[in-house]
Amino acid sequence: MINLAGLSIGMAAAMLIFLWVKNEFGFDNYHRDAGNIYRVKNHLSVSKNETWLWENSPYLLGENAKQQIPEVLDVCRIAPFGYGTQYFNIKGQFYPEEGCAYIDAAWFNVFNYKFIAGSPRDFNEHPFSMLLTESKAKKYFGNENAIGRVIRIDTVDYQVQGVLADNPVNSSFQFNVLIPLAARVANPRNKKNDESWGNFNYVTFLKLTPSADTQVVATKLKGIIAKERDKDDLKISLTPLMGMRFENDLQNSIMQHSDIKVVYIFAVLGILLLLIACINYVNLTTARATLRAKEVSIRKIVGAEKKQLLLQFITESVLISFFALVATIIIMQLSLPLFNRFTEKTFALSFTSPNLWIIAGGTLVATVLLTSIYPAILLSSFKPLSIFRGLNVLQIKDGALRKGLVIVQFTISIVLIVGTIVIYSQLQFINKQNTAYNRSQLLSVSIPYKIWRKYKEEQRTSLTGSFKKELLSQSNIADVSLMASESIVNMEGFSSGNSTDWDGRAEDFTPAIAFFRVDTSFKDIVNLQMKEGRWYQSGNVADQHNSILNETAVREFNIHKPVVGQRFVSQGDTGIIIGVVKDFYYKSLHEKIGPVVIRTADENNTTFLIKTPPGKIKQAEQAAEKVWKQFFPNEPFSASFLDEEFEKLYRADNKISALIWAFAIIAVFISCLGLFGLAAFTAERRNKEVGIRKILGASVGSIVSLLSREFVYMVLLSMLIAFPVAWLLMNKWLEDFAYRINIAWWIFVTAAVIALAIAIITVSLQAIKAAMANPVKSLRSE
Amino acid sequence: MNSGNNRTFLLKDINLSIKQGEFVSIMGPSGSGKSTLLNVIGMLDEFNEGEYNFLSESVHKLKEKQRSALYKQYIGFVFQAYHLIDELTVYENIETPLIYQDIKASERKAMVADILDRFNIVGKKDLFPTQLSGGQQQLVGIARALIANPKLILADEPTGNLNSKQGEEIMNLFSELNKEGVTIIQVTHSEKNAAYGSRIINLLDGLIQN
Repeated sequence: MINLAGLSIGMAAAMLIFLWVKNEFGFDNYHRDAGNIYRVKNHLSVSKNETWLWENSPYLLGENAKQQIPEVLDVCRIAPFGYGTQYFNIKGQFYPEEGCAYIDAAWFNVFNYKFIAGSPRDFNEHPFSMLLTESKAKKYFGNENAIGRVIRIDTVDYQVQGVLADNPVNSSFQFNVLIPLAARVANPRNKKNDESWGNFNYVTFLKLTPSADTQVVATKLKGIIAKERDKDDLKISLTPLMGMRFENDLQNSIMQHSDIKVVYIFAVLGILLLLIACINYVNLTTARATLRAKEVSIRKIVGAEKKQLLLQFITESVLISFFALVATIIIMQLSLPLFNRFTEKTFALSFTSPNLWIIAGGTLVATVLLTSIYPAILLSSFKPLSIFRGLNVLQIKDGALRKGLVIVQFTISIVLIVGTIVIYSQLQFINKQNTAYNRSQLLSVSIPYKIWRKYKEEQRTSLTGSFKKELLSQSNIADVSLMASESIVNMEGFSSGNSTDWDGRAEDFTPAIAFFRVDTSFKDIVNLQMKEGRWYQSGNVADQHNSILNETAVREFNIHKPVVGQRFVSQGDTGIIIGVVKDFYYKSLHEKIGPVVIRTADENNTTFLIKTPPGKIKQAEQAAEKVWKQFFPNEPFSASFLDEEFEKLYRADNKISALIWAFAIIAVFISCLGLFGLAAFTAERRNKEVGIRKILGASVGSIVSLLSREFVYMVLLSMLIAFPVAWLLMNKWLEDFAYRINIAWWIFVTAAVIALAIAIITVSLQAIKAAMANPVKSLRSE
Repeated sequence: MNSGNNRTFLLKDINLSIKQGEFVSIMGPSGSGKSTLLNVIGMLDEFNEGEYNFLSESVHKLKEKQRSALYKQYIGFVFQAYHLIDELTVYENIETPLIYQDIKASERKAMVADILDRFNIVGKKDLFPTQLSGGQQQLVGIARALIANPKLILADEPTGNLNSKQGEEIMNLFSELNKEGVTIIQVTHSEKNAAYGSRIINLLDGLIQN
């Protein structure tokens, strides 16, 4: 039973991981021409030591490539539909929707989609048409026919012309709503904008001939684009469609990417889990073998050949593994919803899918190999008479190996325990670092550009001014700052070239700077600390041209002393430095704090950062919505909570943390099952000895310690091996953070205490049972 | 004795008193309750009814711990199957009871050395039980029973696994010990061995026959 339980749990966990790993490695491979499809990648060098990598290209590059390059069979393009969340207006109701994209007419020539209703032709015939995935069609129209229905976005009506099967889990294109590119260029302003060679708006895919040389094609593409640029600052390369998943050097991307390192780590963890589970099987089988030795001896004496015995044991192992596999699939089926929520995928165990059977078959073969060979050889090879002579050769010979295997199990478990603690501590550390302001009391509301642009420039300042005033009059809003950036949790720095200047700057020193444009309330809302100088004063007109720097900027720019009062040109506007703020976090702790320049020009600030009294965030949101409806009655309202933004920033880290947790628990649990089984076996084997010792006067305590001692030694030895390994691995993981904890000694002590406590509890359950037994009974059976 | 739901008496109406310095042999067919009686005397088995007084203690009133302390100090056991610990040497086997009585290492060493000398097995002290003949193993078993200077030796068919010559040697050893003042109670099938004792008790179906 222990055998089967441990094996099934280990196999289920391993199989789920392999399912995920296989999916990661099989991204976008289902398109018919997957092997011949490439995406254009632009390498734009913006300064001496900075190159930007873009997945987008100019619109006209695609047209020209198809006409001028013979290797290019087809070209298609995709672009996000607007920025951020879109609001679908269906009969006056607003529904927020993400994942909308424009695609051009050739999209379905290059990529394979399954149409449930409609066809590519219906879709391309009319510019203002729309495709929905099956689940979106269900969401909006239920079981009614979606074809012909109308959805309004902003002021334009789109008609649903087709329904697609949901995107496969291994597709990079997780767009649920597709709209023809023709709809975008129908607007002459968009068309003009798109046809400029300086605008890189379209992710462009090329279908090449099978024999095409990608280098040659890339050079030809560069030739096309170079003619249109005055500087030779651009290089082009081609990314294979199936390589897109692990591309992680792009500046930004409309697709999801994954870290190949993480995939490898989990593949290894999956194998280790399977190994731990198989070790249990081997250990318990060989342990029981000493008890079965009599059976084997008799079979041998009766005339069984080694080959027959081997076959018997392998058959047993295959049978057990098969039962385990059945149990595994049941466990997988039960844990799948949890797993899907975790991976944010929609895996399903489909029994007709070859994938499942490949993975199940592979796992089964690996398990059988791992579990049958050694026990079978061991059992079938010993001399039959030794058991009757009372000399148990078997026991001595494989005892060391069994101990070795337990040590391997516990080493893996302890490494995982240490890993869990280190990751948890680092995430706690991140949480504690960003406590200048209370995230749970902040939210932000932005006026989208499409509303903003409708107002004349002279109206804008008074609009935002009265909006802010209205917000401040709400009882559940404590303070408001008007700022330019939509987020203060994840700000990008960028180089503004020579338009940012100060005395002593070298001509070619154009560092990436995070620019904050805020108003005077900002400092108190996010609790900025002044290091020297002063903060902006309201009503001070000269301050419009002045700048405030953070400590890092002062240091990296090498500003002359005294810093306050120095000339500083920010994005072409000359003023002085009036103050220096202490460094604060404005992006992920994976990255170092960079130079920050804070300004107060507020003509184009459209985001309101709202501070609420403690615990009033929901009320504040409602208050903000009320104000919004007064100003923009026909526009959908949305607020973003800093807590959520922060969580998003570390989502990958949190996920890894939770996964390692799960792994550690499973590994420890399986190892304990094994230990429990071995302890039971030891107690059984030493039953007689325990009886004798008790008659000779041994106390229960001394028997328990006698039976547990060797297991405790094994766990101690595992620690000796696990600690350096864990230390190395976790330091490697921490290297990804610019700000990180040191791995303290107490982490190892905690892991040691946890591992020992679990092992001792497991073993003593058996040991106490053995020690409490009446000795007369164990001796009577002789 | 209780066994399961059916109340069966393994021993019944046993009225027996054994004086210090006696050498008693218990005889009877298999299943007559000999070993059970011996275990009750040795305080390894419990009994539900009746009284048992050992030296000046009322055993039936004692708690498990006190009982254990009592037999640890006063009783030594000898078994038919020797029951030596295979993983320990002769020396260690003999030493074990002393360890459980918290006797100091130096003292233990002297006591074990004495008994090895007395039984003439000094040369065998580093051997393991499986390397000894049956007679030698039983010798070690008796040495182990005697090491803590018990007042009573309980022997359950001590010669059952031995040939007649070895058996004779063991019985002679018992007689000698008895002369030195150790009380001995043995269970045996052999009339010849029973004769070594000063009194024979016949047991049938849990009852003493006279």
